[in-house]
Amino acid sequence: MTKASNPLYAAFYAAEFPAQAILRLRPDLHSKSVAILDGVTPKESVCSLNLHARKRGLALGMTRLEVEELGGIQLFSRSWPTEQSARTVLLECASQFSPRIEETYADNACGFVLDISGTERLFGPPMQIAQSLRTTIITAGFRTSICIGLNFDTTRIKAKSTRGITVIPPDEEARAIADIPVSALQLDEEHYETLALWGIRTLGELAELPEEDLVTRIGQQASLWLRLSRGTADHIFQPIEAAFELKEHIEFETHIDQIDSLLFIGSGMINNLVARANNRALCLASLTVRMSLERSLHYERVIRPALPSNDRKFLLKLLQLEIGAHPPQAAVVSLTLIAEAGQQSKVQLGLFTPQAPEPSRLDVTLARLKALVGSDRVGSPTLLDTHRRDSFTIDPFRVPDQPSPKNEITTRISLRRMRPPHPVRMQIQAEKPAVFHDGGDLYQVQVAYGPWHSSGCWWSVNHWDLEEWDVMAINNHGERVGCLLVHDHLNHLWLLDALYD
Amino acid sequence: MTDTRNRITSLSTSEEYIELHASSAFSFLGGSSQPESLVERALELEMPAIALADRNGIYGSARFHTSAKLNKIRAHIGAEIAVSSFGSRLVPPTWLPNRFPEEPPRIVLLCTSQIGYQNLCQLITRFKMRESTKAEGAATFDDLEEFSAGLICLTGGEEGPLTAALNSGGEEGARKSLDRLVSIYGRQNVFVELQRHFEREEECRNASLIEIASRLDLPLIATNGVRCATQEDRELLDIFTAIRHHTTVHDAGRLLCKNSWRHLCSAREMLSQFRDIPEAIANTRIVSERLEFTLNNLGYEFPHYPVPNGETMDSFLAKRVNEGIRKRYLHTLKRHLLERAQKQSQRELDLIAKLGFAGYFLIVWDIRRYCHQQGFLVQGRGSAANSVVCYALEITAVDPIGMELLFERFLSKSRGEWPDIDLDLPSGDDRESVIQHIYKQYGSLGAAMTANVITYRGRSAAREVGKALGFDEQQLARLSGLVGHWEWRGANDTMDKHFNQAGFDVRHPAVAKYLDLCTRMYDLPRHLGQHSGGMVICAGMLNHIVPIERASMPGRTVVQWDKEDCADLGLIKVDLLGLGMMAAIKDSLDLIPPHYNTQVDLAALPHDDQQVYDTLCKADTVGMFQVESRAQMASLPHNAPRCFYDVVVQVAIIRPGPIVGKMMHPYMRRRQGKEEVSYPHPLLEPVLKRTLGVPLFQEQLLRMAMVVASFTGSEAEELRRAVGMRRSMQRMRDLEGRLRAGMTRNGIGAVEQDNIVQGISSFAMYGFPESHAASFALIAYASAYLKVHYLAAFTCGLLNNQPMGFYTPAVLIKDAQRHGLRVHPICIQRSEGQCSIDHEIDGSQSVRIGLNYAKGLRQSSAAALIKAREDDGSFRSVDDLVRRVPELNRKELALLAQIGALNSLDEVKHRRDALWQVEEAGRPVGPLLRNSPSESDRQSRPLRQMTTDERLAADFAGVGLTCGPHPMSYHRPALHQRDFLTADELTRSDNNSFVRIAGCVIARQRPGTAKGFVFLSLEDETGIANIIITPDLFEHERIVVTRNRFLDIEGRLQIQNGVIHVKAFRILPIEISSAGVHSHDFH
Repeated sequence: MTKASNPLYAAFYAAEFPAQAILRLRPDLHSKSVAILDGVTPKESVCSLNLHARKRGLALGMTRLEVEELGGIQLFSRSWPTEQSARTVLLECASQFSPRIEETYADNACGFVLDISGTERLFGPPMQIAQSLRTTIITAGFRTSICIGLNFDTTRIKAKSTRGITVIPPDEEARAIADIPVSALQLDEEHYETLALWGIRTLGELAELPEEDLVTRIGQQASLWLRLSRGTADHIFQPIEAAFELKEHIEFETHIDQIDSLLFIGSGMINNLVARANNRALCLASLTVRMSLERSLHYERVIRPALPSNDRKFLLKLLQLEIGAHPPQAAVVSLTLIAEAGQQSKVQLGLFTPQAPEPSRLDVTLARLKALVGSDRVGSPTLLDTHRRDSFTIDPFRVPDQPSPKNEITTRISLRRMRPPHPVRMQIQAEKPAVFHDGGDLYQVQVAYGPWHSSGCWWSVNHWDLEEWDVMAINNHGERVGCLLVHDHLNHLWLLDALYD
Repeated sequence: MTDTRNRITSLSTSEEYIELHASSAFSFLGGSSQPESLVERALELEMPAIALADRNGIYGSARFHTSAKLNKIRAHIGAEIAVSSFGSRLVPPTWLPNRFPEEPPRIVLLCTSQIGYQNLCQLITRFKMRESTKAEGAATFDDLEEFSAGLICLTGGEEGPLTAALNSGGEEGARKSLDRLVSIYGRQNVFVELQRHFEREEECRNASLIEIASRLDLPLIATNGVRCATQEDRELLDIFTAIRHHTTVHDAGRLLCKNSWRHLCSAREMLSQFRDIPEAIANTRIVSERLEFTLNNLGYEFPHYPVPNGETMDSFLAKRVNEGIRKRYLHTLKRHLLERAQKQSQRELDLIAKLGFAGYFLIVWDIRRYCHQQGFLVQGRGSAANSVVCYALEITAVDPIGMELLFERFLSKSRGEWPDIDLDLPSGDDRESVIQHIYKQYGSLGAAMTANVITYRGRSAAREVGKALGFDEQQLARLSGLVGHWEWRGANDTMDKHFNQAGFDVRHPAVAKYLDLCTRMYDLPRHLGQHSGGMVICAGMLNHIVPIERASMPGRTVVQWDKEDCADLGLIKVDLLGLGMMAAIKDSLDLIPPHYNTQVDLAALPHDDQQVYDTLCKADTVGMFQVESRAQMASLPHNAPRCFYDVVVQVAIIRPGPIVGKMMHPYMRRRQGKEEVSYPHPLLEPVLKRTLGVPLFQEQLLRMAMVVASFTGSEAEELRRAVGMRRSMQRMRDLEGRLRAGMTRNGIGAVEQDNIVQGISSFAMYGFPESHAASFALIAYASAYLKVHYLAAFTCGLLNNQPMGFYTPAVLIKDAQRHGLRVHPICIQRSEGQCSIDHEIDGSQSVRIGLNYAKGLRQSSAAALIKAREDDGSFRSVDDLVRRVPELNRKELALLAQIGALNSLDEVKHRRDALWQVEEAGRPVGPLLRNSPSESDRQSRPLRQMTTDERLAADFAGVGLTCGPHPMSYHRPALHQRDFLTADELTRSDNNSFVRIAGCVIARQRPGTAKGFVFLSLEDETGIANIIITPDLFEHERIVVTRNRFLDIEGRLQIQNGVIHVKAFRILPIEISSAGVHSHDFH
């Protein structure tokens, strides 16, 4: 059918892809009405459906409520990961026939065009190629339409618009797509409306319009439309490139139970990752450490330096501290390092800027501290926006945008919190604390200020209702203390909560 | 001070403290209790007085005053006033995470006298009106100084200026702020406010305030800065805070209350808290005694009407009424009523003079006169139509003498209320002109619209509480969707039932709390809106009586009270209501003289036009006022109106009230002679004769009481109101006792008495005012008259005042065409801005659709097109149009081409040809070539002509209607072959026969009272067919019924007295046209 030098394309198109991606793994649903919902609740709407659902009267864009009113429809939420893996499967199918593949549709559909020029000797004439391709795809669990022809766009459009297999003979491109609606050109709304107003519904009708007059009315893009509708459009093939992934993986013949051995191997892996990143003028912004352990355990930690870095020693030190702080609980079977690439940090230093330690040294120090006291206990405390007493979180250290103004030196009373507070036995006189016992010590209250009431979170189980007193008391050893006593009304407890220094 | 202290010791504990700083829910999300709840709580706490101080207004003061009066508690009036000159209120320091917005501090101003109250109102009005739109606003020191007299100033709590000043400038700063207040209000009128909510920071501030007050020798005063009536209401307060700051209670943090001490505390609690500062408590009593002002003493006066020298308003009114009576009743047809009218008018005038209402009538008369001068239609509705004075003054058009209406329903001596006159005006510009005229006449501070307090209802409460509690959107949508149906369901439906039905476990604490909060939030105010037409007018300045603020609508202002508040406090409003049909009628009347060479006087329409009644009897009423709905059409053949009073009954009877009150069917049966006319007692025959023994109107209730129990008109009106409102059981029992006693005196037996009492009780709730029905019937009759005799003018009027009524313009046009009217599509050579009347060769009138119907054609472009045509004649070609009307953009040109508006141009062969040309002509061209003729080849016509369906689709897409044949007519031969009947053929078919019909769905209804039945109106080229769908069938074919524009229906034909329905058995979609016809759906 074609000379060896002529290009030849095979296009295939999987319609209702979100539904197909889910249904190929659920053969039990093949005979049922299935619809896939997309969007945020409560504005979910049907984005894809199978033939049974369409026969039941379902249409794209219907809301969940409308679908539920119909009843008997199996509803699924759209799953991007499922679609992604289904796409990978389709791509693998295609790659059995050609290494040059271009993806042509996204979102609700999945389509690829394969450059199959010169493959006839391998796979036979176009019809045979089409049938083999179809068989492969059906085996993978998909229904697609396939078209083979000399023009990239014509095969792409024809595959999308017709079912089954089509082979377009040479010079028959325009005729092959003449009955296809102009919507196949993926025009913008305005132009689509214009053509609809003109009564131009098919590519054949569009192809008949005089080019000069059309360009006068629509602009230069009309020229491309005409070429597409006449099957004469040129296309520069853009094959899919493999994704750039910074990942190193090793499986050990003998399981490793020494951290030093692990780090020795890890060091080489980090070197490789840094070198690969360097080749693209990138740094490592984070390093995910995954290990498969004996007894099927799984281990994963993420190291994220303050700034992306390609300092091998520094990264290895962080790895050492992280593993040291969180050692694997069993012998290591395999090790994977996955790096996230980041831009190299460039800091413009001023001539008169005082010398400061390198940021990487702080990272190392922090990592050491976390290894010592636990990662949730290193950082700076941040108060929470609530009336609940003693409410704060520990956030990672941050360099403030602006230096904080110098505080004037003033003398202040400090509050030393008891964590946890001590329960005390309290005696009340004249509605005020009078005497309390803390363990063996007896405190005589001399002055009491209060009560200070605080209550909140009444809508949840974490609600509180406290009464606080600031007291000066003297204990049985004659020591005077200033302290904060709390009466927890909900638990009927008196607590020594803090001491005033 | 010492004397006062001595006096206070003799008081009971509960009387020693008066709360002088309480905010209600009328602080709009700043308080969580109704003013009435605060009063009730004060009563429980035996507090003898309480002051209400809402944020920047006195929105809740009327209710507060009314409730306090009822409970014998003194209601002090005040407000929290934001003062921008003080800077910003206290917010937590930046290092403490918080979401506090910046806002000005607020002081509390309390009114000691009427002058103080007037100053407060003026102050609020001043800063509210300074804003260009509806806004909170804030006062300045200048404002405070100007309106300081008669007011006592409290310095506020944590939101006050002293707190803010202490924080930013220390004690010195606070002292300066205090000095400023003292310089404004005087030493004796400024009190340093102390609040104690058991918070450390507050106590620290209090210590400083006490020190400053002592240094400046200023009195201290204790308040609790109350935000809710009881401790439990703190929860709702937190919810409101979250709503106000557009967040959830989880994220609101420090915005929420720190504890639950913002409620109204007892004197004992306050004494205990302030036991170290007893003078702060004692001063509350002293201040309370100084607050002499109450809202009893508002000083409102309705404006005096300026009368000539030597005249009083009463004499002037009497002269105008006498003139009117002569004008109205010297007409041949009414001369026999003259004497009765004069007698009645004298009686009414005497009562008006006695009650001092002459000014009110004259002012309404003046508004009416202004409308007549401007050529606006105006007509009074409601109970005013019972008054011959209103009729004589041409405020109403219903003759109360001729119709034997009862004046007492309108005005009575005992009622102690101002009369209520509602004026219907053409909606739109005319009504707005009248409103602006009143503003102009009485000044921007002399008149304002009444407010409309928008309160939390089921759906809004469920949604906003849910949001504040952080429920996810899906849960919220589910719940509020459910709650949305509450209002029309039965009275037994409760919120917890609905929660249960939605699958929520109300025993779950979170759901239970949600439900509880929704219930408590119900009816609390949410924000202030504008009443649809109520306008308050005042002699002197209205801003002395009630604060005025900007409404959302430009050029409008509102008072801070709603219509009930205004009525309770004796403020008088005139309702200026917009009515689309009035505008349509006015336009029709304007079109009649130039196109029909005659003039129609609305006031002199013959009410015996048989052609009009024939049309009504046939239910051929599309487009007519009040009688065009599906339910009206279904009852018109049964009622078969033959005189004007029948129309009055028709207007009144098809309403939820009479239907629920089971009055409609007995009346209809008697009307058709299927049931004997009987009366509860022979004495009642004259009263109920006109309505065939079935009491329909409220006036009949009054007359019944007057006839059987010898009640006076005032007593009868009192009875009606008592029964209608069901407010006071005691009052009802008294009146029933008097009614029975009267009946016994008149010799009516016990059984008959029971029947009469039962009858009165049952229909008082649902009865309709006869006068109101008569006013509406006049408009209904006028619309019918105009439609029957001046179809072109009437259709034009209707089309130019859309949207209104029950049907879309497409249906109105098809109906008019079926009645023989020619309707022409939009044409650039002929169409005006609005729909207009053309003349056919045979002299008949036709309607030309106006450019305003071209969807997407800007008004300015249409005006430019018309001007170009008027200036230089018709357009010669597409290029000529484009050159002469540069305002038309490419889209507009394409629109005009698409709808066939360019087809009259010489070079245009068909719509697509025009589209092809405009796409070239409409392209952007530089100024050099703009005026040069195009050299493109006009012979190139590559586009095919539109098919019929394409033309229809283009018509509906571009105009929303088609002037050509009905879409169904193109398919009729094929449909006939398949045994489909037309709507017209149904009338000639046999009852109970099996029929098949197809048509375009023009209305879908599923009324709440119809137990799930669905009513469809199906239009074809011959008329409208009515389809009934059972609930089962609807459930089965829900998608088909609700989503398809054209339906194929099989069912059984039901014909009863000319009323035709098809009870559907099977419903299918049918492919007729892709045109986007629209249905008017009611759910």
